[in-house]
Amino acid sequence: MSSILRVIPHLVGIHIRTHMEYRGALLIGWIAQAIGYAGIYASIALLLARFENLGGWTWPQMALLLAFHLLAYALGAAVSFVQFRDMEEKVRLGTFDAILVKPIGPWTFLAFSGLNIEYGGHIALAIGLMVWSVSSLSIDWSPGLVLYFLAALISAAMLTAALMTMIGATALIWVRSRHLFAIYFGFWELARYPLNIFPLPLQVMMITVAPLGFLAFIPTAVMLGKPVPILGDFAPLASLLVGPLFVLIAMAHWRHCLRNYQGAGG
Amino acid sequence: MKLSAYPAFTATAFTSRLAYRNQVWSGMFGELVATFAFIAVWTAAFVGRGTVDGVTLPDMVTYVIIAGPLLNWNTTRYIREVGDAIRTGDVTTFLLKPLHYPALLFFNQLGNNAFEQLSITLPVAVIVALAVGLLPPASVAHGLLFLAYWVVSWSMMFLIATLTAMLAFWLLTAFALDWFLRGIMAVASGAVVPLWFMPAPLAAILGYLPFAWVSYYPSAVYLGKLDLPAASLHLAIGCIWLATLVGILTWLWSRMRHRLIVQGG
Repeated sequence: MSSILRVIPHLVGIHIRTHMEYRGALLIGWIAQAIGYAGIYASIALLLARFENLGGWTWPQMALLLAFHLLAYALGAAVSFVQFRDMEEKVRLGTFDAILVKPIGPWTFLAFSGLNIEYGGHIALAIGLMVWSVSSLSIDWSPGLVLYFLAALISAAMLTAALMTMIGATALIWVRSRHLFAIYFGFWELARYPLNIFPLPLQVMMITVAPLGFLAFIPTAVMLGKPVPILGDFAPLASLLVGPLFVLIAMAHWRHCLRNYQGAGG
Repeated sequence: MKLSAYPAFTATAFTSRLAYRNQVWSGMFGELVATFAFIAVWTAAFVGRGTVDGVTLPDMVTYVIIAGPLLNWNTTRYIREVGDAIRTGDVTTFLLKPLHYPALLFFNQLGNNAFEQLSITLPVAVIVALAVGLLPPASVAHGLLFLAYWVVSWSMMFLIATLTAMLAFWLLTAFALDWFLRGIMAVASGAVVPLWFMPAPLAAILGYLPFAWVSYYPSAVYLGKLDLPAASLHLAIGCIWLATLVGILTWLWSRMRHRLIVQGG
């Protein structure tokens, strides 16, 4: 275990050095992605400027929701999205077999050898928007709330990484899994908005089979003292438990897929 | 190469997409979820209000389908494919052939987009129509004008995406260019929020930029928010924008061919 922990910084370091060879492209990528998200958020701000609120959420509250959504996603996706999006290609070409014979767990190798620092633009925009929204809202920041905020953020990032892992791992059995990301991002887009504006069946889906309601809405609603549909008073605890729970489910799924992997490339 | 030969690329692009059936159902599901999300957003926005600026909730539900999946097609895959062809040097294989590369891209994308409209947008529109209802065009004349606007919208989106992708000849990355365009389109096309709900100074500026012809003007014409003389005038302005963008693309293409740096091997 200690040898694996010693290897991880080297894997990350190699990947970062590779990216830093193309500093200009990295910087342009950060700026471009931040502008891409800023455009979408500007649209939501324009909508709220005209309609005042959305399901009882004002623009500063929505800004906190969007910032939390982007930050939790970026932290989780940095260790999972690109790595597991490309799983089907690794399986199809047979390059995943080469990862299996390395003296390190394949998940650890994939996640950290591809640690994506291209999320710098996401993180900078999310933190900037979060600072602005928090300064615009009168939140009573007690030590307990600060701890909850950090724990909920980590839990949401874990949820993201777990779901990405599960989708990517499916390629080990089905060979294809990229199309499942289209479904993930469909729900991910929904998670930008207050859950209470959606019909009840969709609300149930967003906290069960597609639990992206926990990515941003539930933690933000708890911090703002807003009611959480269906979960009610259980929402704070549920938002902290969902990340670790889905990590355990993802670990089981990953092991099941590895056991049943037969290869597709040659 | 004769122009009559190019539609073969459209047919090939269309049929090649049939091989990826998983992409169809997952794409349709993702689009359906996103569409119902936007419908829910507008439903929430209109709570307690019958009409806002002369626009009703049924207007906005129809607007969501037309301005979104029907007109504002996802250019990410297209831009990145062109960018990859430039970065890897695959574009040289097309330059060696007796064809015009931008024309090849046009007919190829026409096939891809026709497939997505038939396999994803049409089923989503039918489901939305059955579930919440879609409005017909404001009049027969508006409906006919909308068809002309649809052609302008598609061509405008293609030209904007192609000009964006072609900049990869200089920057050698289409990834960043695609994100820049996404940010611009989110606001300027009116696909998410129509220009009639934006502050007047911003709407006035965006109303003259070509992005507005991708989603906003065609949807506004369909819903009858522009009277027939205004719709005809804006169609003519859209055509002028198209001619301008074709001119820019032609000029850029003539320069790009001479500054190609092949990095692949």
